[in-house]
Amino acid sequence: MARFLLTRLIQSVATLVLLSLVIFVLARATGDPLTLILPMVATEEDFANARRYLGLDQPLHVQYLMFVGKAAAGDFGTSIRARRPVIELLRQRLPSSLALGAFSMAVSLLIAFPLGVLAAVRKGTALDTGAKIVAALGQALPTFWVGIVLIEIVAGRLQWLPAGGNDSPAHYILPGFTLGWFVIAGLMRLLRSSMLEVLDSDYVKTARAKGAGEPAVVWRHALKNALIPVVTFAGVYFAILVTTAIVVETVFAWPGMGRLAYEAITARDFPVIQAVVLVTAVIVVAVNLVVDSLYACIDPRIRIDPRRP
Amino acid sequence: MKRPPVVSAAIILGFVLLALLADVVSPGDPYEQTLRARFTPPAWEAHGSWTHPLGTDRLGRDLLSRIIFGARVSLAAGVVTVLLAGFIGAGVGLVAGYHRGRVGAILMRVTDATLAFPIILLALILAVTVGPSFTNVVIAIAVILWARYARVIHGEVLALMEREFIAQARVIGCSAGRIIVVHLLPNTLNTLIVLLTLQVGYVIIVEASLSFLGAGIPPPAPAWGSMVAEGRDVITTAWWVSFFPGLAILLVVLAFNLFGDWLRDVLDPKLRQQ
Amino acid sequence: MKTAALLALCLLGPSPVWADARPSGELTVALSSFATEVLDPVLGGHGVKFYLALIFDYLIGVTPDGQLSPDLGIATAWEPSADHKRWTFTLRRGVRFHNGDELTSSDVKWSLLRAISKRSTTGYAGVLRALLQDIETPAPDRVVIVTKEPTLVIPPYLSRALSSEGMILPRKYVEAVGDDMFAQKPIGSGPYRFVEQVTGSHVKLTAVERHWRLGTPKYRIVTFRVVPEEATRMAMVRRGDVDVADVSRDRVREMERAGFPIYYRNNDALLHLWWILPWDRVPVRDKRVREALNLAIDRREIAATIFGGKAEPAGVPFGLTWGFRDVRWRNAETDQYPFDPARARKLLAEAGYPRGFPISIFAYQLPALPEGKEMAEAVSGYWQKIGVQPKLIPVDYPAFRKQWVDRAAPGAVGYYNLPNRDWIGTYTLLEKFAHTPSKPTDTVADPEIDGMLEAILRETDREKINVFMRRIFARLRSEHYGVPLVYLHTPYVTSKRIAHWNPGSVMLDLNIDELAAQR
Repeated sequence: MARFLLTRLIQSVATLVLLSLVIFVLARATGDPLTLILPMVATEEDFANARRYLGLDQPLHVQYLMFVGKAAAGDFGTSIRARRPVIELLRQRLPSSLALGAFSMAVSLLIAFPLGVLAAVRKGTALDTGAKIVAALGQALPTFWVGIVLIEIVAGRLQWLPAGGNDSPAHYILPGFTLGWFVIAGLMRLLRSSMLEVLDSDYVKTARAKGAGEPAVVWRHALKNALIPVVTFAGVYFAILVTTAIVVETVFAWPGMGRLAYEAITARDFPVIQAVVLVTAVIVVAVNLVVDSLYACIDPRIRIDPRRP
Repeated sequence: MKRPPVVSAAIILGFVLLALLADVVSPGDPYEQTLRARFTPPAWEAHGSWTHPLGTDRLGRDLLSRIIFGARVSLAAGVVTVLLAGFIGAGVGLVAGYHRGRVGAILMRVTDATLAFPIILLALILAVTVGPSFTNVVIAIAVILWARYARVIHGEVLALMEREFIAQARVIGCSAGRIIVVHLLPNTLNTLIVLLTLQVGYVIIVEASLSFLGAGIPPPAPAWGSMVAEGRDVITTAWWVSFFPGLAILLVVLAFNLFGDWLRDVLDPKLRQQ
Repeated sequence: MKTAALLALCLLGPSPVWADARPSGELTVALSSFATEVLDPVLGGHGVKFYLALIFDYLIGVTPDGQLSPDLGIATAWEPSADHKRWTFTLRRGVRFHNGDELTSSDVKWSLLRAISKRSTTGYAGVLRALLQDIETPAPDRVVIVTKEPTLVIPPYLSRALSSEGMILPRKYVEAVGDDMFAQKPIGSGPYRFVEQVTGSHVKLTAVERHWRLGTPKYRIVTFRVVPEEATRMAMVRRGDVDVADVSRDRVREMERAGFPIYYRNNDALLHLWWILPWDRVPVRDKRVREALNLAIDRREIAATIFGGKAEPAGVPFGLTWGFRDVRWRNAETDQYPFDPARARKLLAEAGYPRGFPISIFAYQLPALPEGKEMAEAVSGYWQKIGVQPKLIPVDYPAFRKQWVDRAAPGAVGYYNLPNRDWIGTYTLLEKFAHTPSKPTDTVADPEIDGMLEAILRETDREKINVFMRRIFARLRSEHYGVPLVYLHTPYVTSKRIAHWNPGSVMLDLNIDELAAQR
């Protein structure tokens, strides 16, 4: 077990180092950040001054080593655009992103669970079809369009809910739902198919034979086992949330990491681009690591399962 | 055995035909702009006319023609992207699964690193670096999407490697290339086809999101995603501009997803877990 | 001394008029874009003026229509020496920074030096660097700016009409806490003090008790929010979450119908297209080609359609109308380019391009110009109709700017929504856009214009400056140095409780002062 953990840990670190190099190069490929922070009428002298002040006149390998060295200690440098420590920006943005992510995960679980389980139990009925349609729509409509239509109707016309910002709990509902709907589909499908499989297994057949009532079979025995692949999905789920969040945060003026990444890319703000990608990757990798380890604990066979190298 | 999704297949086939025959069936030129006729509503609404059955967009271009020609752009983007990603992903997965030593380890680390990289961020970076274009959108999505295929194929290959026939092939002296192409590839093909089908819709949706962020297939090309994105500001005053391309996206994505589900059940039931 | 005593009396004595009028309530301004979001004036430039102008005072204030005013800035009077090389400013007494320190000539001198320091990225500092020789502070309320050459440009350069060089910062505070801390928790002497900033979200300010510029501010809290999506901004206005917001020209009518007041900044910007230099190997080196490309465009149609009627045709390259007024430029009617595709074709044929030529148009989005790409598509459509073969190249602005200043795409077309400005603002713009020596951002290579621009900087007779400016405009127009497209009116929607607002005509300034003033 210890050996497994160690291997996975080393693999994770290797993954992150690789990623840091890629993002360092990519961020710099985007062009010159100064064209945006300096006024249109700035002279070449202004450019040279700003470059020196921001440390962008150093050789690239020096910049990279400084980036990695400091990042390991939690220092991501200074934002070129906002001229303040990147870590401070992360401190402002990460919590509101995680809060929205958690809220929409709750929303999607609340909807996906009953729908997924019922769809599996009542396979082939109208309920199954209905659930499938709800889920499929979430993946077949562009997220920004869903968000904007919700804003126009629920916030603009009916004025039931606020549209932009994250000032109150009510502000979470529209963006949370928009973000959640997109992943409901994935969750529901996963749950439905894994429920179908479990319901068909010897384990459940035994439970039934022993005289357990159908609700108990479904909700207690089957669901517990069907959850395993859903939990595995957590890491992937988080990555999807981050990606979709850029769009949702833009639509709902939500001060989160996705929006921060977008602003940073359009402003060629290297330190912020690097920090956001790296922090996101650390979280994705960490979630995967935890999930895998939990798995390995529960089921020792996983350690040698070829599907989870 | 589920019954085949006739409707989905028909929708896909229909749009493919539209794309192929766009020059013949389109009522007009998708690029022809008439500023004075901008935001003409669909024919059945007040002030609508049958010259523009679905109305016109901000530059007075015929929406129906743009949607028909857009089928070409959007379907091509979806299909080309998954094929490209599938090609790379299958290649990496096969090689990494066959050479389980250092090569496999390095390839799978690259795969993991890629999976941890949000697609939209990469596409945005590419778009601001080299400018948004059809090719760049395809590359940006494929460059990340391949890792998902590599992961799954890699798993399949590892399982196959334990099987008798691979050991036999080795014993009789087959080369690595031959084993991969002749013995491993055909056995993973079903999985690959299912994954590819399921991801076409995803790619079309991602492209739409990119358009919203200004990094999708750029105008004046009539890509559905950018048409929806362009029309979003006038949803309240000219709903049709974003609605009809949105409907096209909805139909095609639903069709591909349902069709892919069916393919999965038929070709590769064990994939349900992925 | 007498003034000071009077002021002290005002400050301390009981005042029946002001006693019950305390700042209360909130004002929220939602904008689609926030520029760099910095809080330190020397890191900002004019892009962040709209909120910094509430935190800081300018050395010289301006009226809402952009005239320098001794009543609205720290300087209550200013005058040049006979040779125009020494400018003496008399400072307002009794002005205090938010931490209680008094604002004196030492702060003014230090702020100006900081604005032209190497760290500064304000953008107009270059001219000041070249001009300034010394700054003297003979008394706490006296500042003398000594220039290397005679000039008239010092007061407008340090006024609210231009950028952030003229903002006065608290020397002691910045020296005590350091530049980095100041950039995060700025202190000024303006009517509102800084409370908090969440980048990408908002800047929050709170009113001081009383301020010499506004009296007692009306709102206790003023918040500037960045809300990029149009639908979201409008929903926030409808719900009453927001009091002032920029609204796209497409949705003005809808909001008006719903009963929300709309205010315009008329002629807010000139949408201007140019060809990337050098021209010696491309068709636009020929004046007739440049004229043809101008004649091919139906500006009225563009104004009426793409800009929803909230724009007017423009006829003079770099013809910033707020500057026209100052230099008494002729009536603009004669400047208009007729829409004449036939003549455009003829001119092309005469110039040796009967079959047209390929031309690249960069298409990009700019802040306050959501119609950017559409406009580029439309222009491309017009040019196609006179036989030119335009090719749209979608990029984002920084990518375009690189092509432009690197001169990597000679003859290709770029554009900008040049913020309208007074004569000195127009001058600073021309100095960057039309003055050839050593300017990467140059778009016009014309020695005659270069000479006139250099002469203006040293000219001390205002009437002669006006003559130079008029001659420059005339030459820009007769040589067709660019494609002036339309003047844009920028609409703002407000909540119903805002009864009156003049968003003013000062470059990139929303005159929030008026909303914040107790009336």
